[in-house]
Amino acid sequence: MSDQPRRISLADADDHTLVERAGHGDVRAFEVLVRRYGPLMRSYARRVLGRSDDVDDVVQETFVAAWKQLPSIDDPARVKSWLMRIVSRRCVDRIRARRDHDDIADHDAETPEHETPHRLLEAKSREQALTLALEAMPPPQRRAWILKELGGHSYDEIAGDLGLPVSTVRGLLSRARKKMITEMEAWR
Amino acid sequence: MSADLPDDLEAAGISGDDVETLSLEPDRLDGHTIDELADYLDAGMTPPDATIDDSPACQNALDALTRVRMLSHGALEADALDEDEREDDWITEILTNISLEAHAGRDVPLPPLTETENSVITEGAVRSVVRRAGDTVDGVLVGRCTLEGDVTTPGAPVTVEVWARVVRDHGQSREAVISEIRTAIGDALRTHTEMNVERIDVTMRDDGAAPLAEEER
Repeated sequence: MSDQPRRISLADADDHTLVERAGHGDVRAFEVLVRRYGPLMRSYARRVLGRSDDVDDVVQETFVAAWKQLPSIDDPARVKSWLMRIVSRRCVDRIRARRDHDDIADHDAETPEHETPHRLLEAKSREQALTLALEAMPPPQRRAWILKELGGHSYDEIAGDLGLPVSTVRGLLSRARKKMITEMEAWR
Repeated sequence: MSADLPDDLEAAGISGDDVETLSLEPDRLDGHTIDELADYLDAGMTPPDATIDDSPACQNALDALTRVRMLSHGALEADALDEDEREDDWITEILTNISLEAHAGRDVPLPPLTETENSVITEGAVRSVVRRAGDTVDGVLVGRCTLEGDVTTPGAPVTVEVWARVVRDHGQSREAVISEIRTAIGDALRTHTEMNVERIDVTMRDDGAAPLAEEER
């Protein structure tokens, strides 16, 4: 056994400790959180926003906002879902900002039925198949599904987020659920 | 979905029958819609609804919904693992954008360098001294740290409260660890500040992940 004291790297620290330290101004602890959850937040943002330059910006903005709000976090151990919630809100803000440029009438155009299964065949895993199935959905349907199933937003919130009536959101989600279940069942 | 599948799907062994196995329309779900089932799942399946709980078709659909949910969380995590390790620039940009003043706290006086000049250290910087000192104790990481008392007045009594966690267990007693932390912090504060530290309270946290056992002895 070595008698040399071995300093513990912050990278090994639990979320609770990191959040407390970061909330008290420890930039190194905050950096560990950025490295730990940045990739997950980018994946989420990319699912909501599609492949765009906005993804990096949104995640950066989220962290800057999170830094300011860290001292007020209720449960430091739940920082992951707290961060996911903020990034989700920020993504929605982006969608709102983009909305003016979108063609609203085109919002719920159905993807041709055969297109998804074709692409699904290329998938190497169920996870990849799911990602491809999501990507094949019309954007409003995909966003509604992600905000509901991954982001945990309510129907009312999604309606507000996407600027659509609640009934439309329910319709989008209904189609999205059936599509996802049917396609993923083929992969069992 | 239609049972008329493209040829290559059938070639892959996915038959129209397979895809049709799970019907998601109300007439096949004992009168329930898939959306009612999703809401039921969201509500933690409470209050219990016997028309869902006792229906094999609904149970199948609930299972399928759950599988898709788990899979989508799994896919997100898997995607995150595939994310490129982001260049340090990206992280540096975040770190330079965060305002250090946000958590600076009160000004703690230091002994004047000259007779006319008063210098101070921020409370945030004192906390940083405390954390670094506590972290030098083998296997320990400091979390929260507060300074109780009027730190802005030279000589006023101050109590330092520290919460720490044993991240790697080296088998020392709790008392020994606490005593080491207390000594390290006391020494560091005497070196770097003029604060009149009356007491250092150390609370060990046991919640959360268990400490890693020492790997080699």
